[in-house]
Amino acid sequence: MDKQRIVEKVNQVFEESFEIEKNELAPEKKIFDDLGLDSLDIVDLVVALQQKFSIKIRDDERVRNIRSLKDIYDYITKLGEEGVLPKDGK
Amino acid sequence: MRRVVISGVGAISPLGDNVVSLIEGITQGKSAVEYMDGWNQYVGLRSLVGAYSVCKDEKSIPRQSRRSMSRMSIFATKAAEEAIADAGMDEGMLRSGRTGCIIGSTMGSPKSLSDTFEIMLPDRDLTKLSSMKFFQCVSHTAAMNVAQYLGIRGRVMATSAACASALQAIGTGFELVRHGMQEVVLCGGAEELHPTVTGSFDILFATSTGYNNDPKKTPRPFDKKRDGLVCGEGSGILVLEEYEQAKKRGAKIYAEVVGYNTCGSGLHVSQSNCAVMETCMKESLKDAGISAGDVDYICAHATATIHGDKEEAKAIKAVFGASIPVSSFKGYMGHTLGASGALELIVAIDGMQKGVVYPTKNLDEVAPECEGIMHVKEPLKKDINILVKNCFAFGGINAALVCKK
Repeated sequence: MDKQRIVEKVNQVFEESFEIEKNELAPEKKIFDDLGLDSLDIVDLVVALQQKFSIKIRDDERVRNIRSLKDIYDYITKLGEEGVLPKDGK
Repeated sequence: MRRVVISGVGAISPLGDNVVSLIEGITQGKSAVEYMDGWNQYVGLRSLVGAYSVCKDEKSIPRQSRRSMSRMSIFATKAAEEAIADAGMDEGMLRSGRTGCIIGSTMGSPKSLSDTFEIMLPDRDLTKLSSMKFFQCVSHTAAMNVAQYLGIRGRVMATSAACASALQAIGTGFELVRHGMQEVVLCGGAEELHPTVTGSFDILFATSTGYNNDPKKTPRPFDKKRDGLVCGEGSGILVLEEYEQAKKRGAKIYAEVVGYNTCGSGLHVSQSNCAVMETCMKESLKDAGISAGDVDYICAHATATIHGDKEEAKAIKAVFGASIPVSSFKGYMGHTLGASGALELIVAIDGMQKGVVYPTKNLDEVAPECEGIMHVKEPLKKDINILVKNCFAFGGINAALVCKK
């Protein structure tokens, strides 16, 4: 899956699950401070990302370091490099 | 003991998303019962009719409050907002700790429960579940969500008693204000329509199954051709307030609550019993300090089940005789279960204010076993000073509330 597609799909999660408008999504935006998510939302963010990308990340320590949208894009990209993302790459 | 009045009302019902449309639907004799698409996918579900509600501006509730709300909590929140605005309550009063919130429902959100198990099973995988499922599934979901959203710091309770949920909420709110524990209580009930809810009655042969092709003809309370209940959904919320306070701030006063009783039958989990219904109604009159002859109208529970309607008719005859008009509103909007006591009381009080008894819809021919009471089949002009509202629920839970103009 290329980076562009990863960014698109991550953004879809924020639009669909958290009702955040596309134009509010930018890589530097902080999840808590700028996009207004709280600790309960983080559980649902993980569930939604798992569903969107067909991955299991709930127990991955690296999820705890996520602070910004860019962090999520980079994390999913890394998973791709590790061969974790499904092969069809849709 | 202090006097308790109703100073605001709010409703989301199958007849519309506010009180005006609820009343309009009743006065126009509308039926909100429809054939439910997709329900025939449930193997063995025989009743394929229901009365659903639509709430148009859900997103006016901010996401972070709305995320823990299923449809039933959204109904309750919107109805509560309408009731508070109607009562002219300000935020200070809501947050004072002297305002409570009691909202009952049969259960937590059936859709959220159903989704939760569909997601989790058959692998028993918890990792796919949203954190919000818990808040939507718990039995106090409506009370909890409304209280949090409105900032209510008084008593927050959920009277979970199936069809008696809302009336128990109102009765409990009445007792709290009467005895000085709260000044104001938002009370009522909420419920969601779902094939599994209808299914639970269907399994017990309590649902209407003979009108799937003619949904507007069912349910038929007290009627010779009644064949069971039809589930509906929505929420009714009433603001109960201490009378002197309401008067002092110039609040609108819909009615005074003067008596209440709730009791169990101690007999059978599903079969209603007329002797216990009689006791419940008599005790509510005693609590109000009035006699049966003082009552001008009885708003019946009558869900159109074969047994329940018969027992209620017998009980009403025994307590009130044949000269006090009786009607049931379930023919218009189905049985809204946990919301029914509140929604139907709102309609009954409107009738009391306007001097009219709204009739029982779909009552064409009174069943012989339901005779002996004064059935109302057309709108009846009558001066109503005192009314009794009944709710008789599964589990042998009975409730009756007495209101005065």
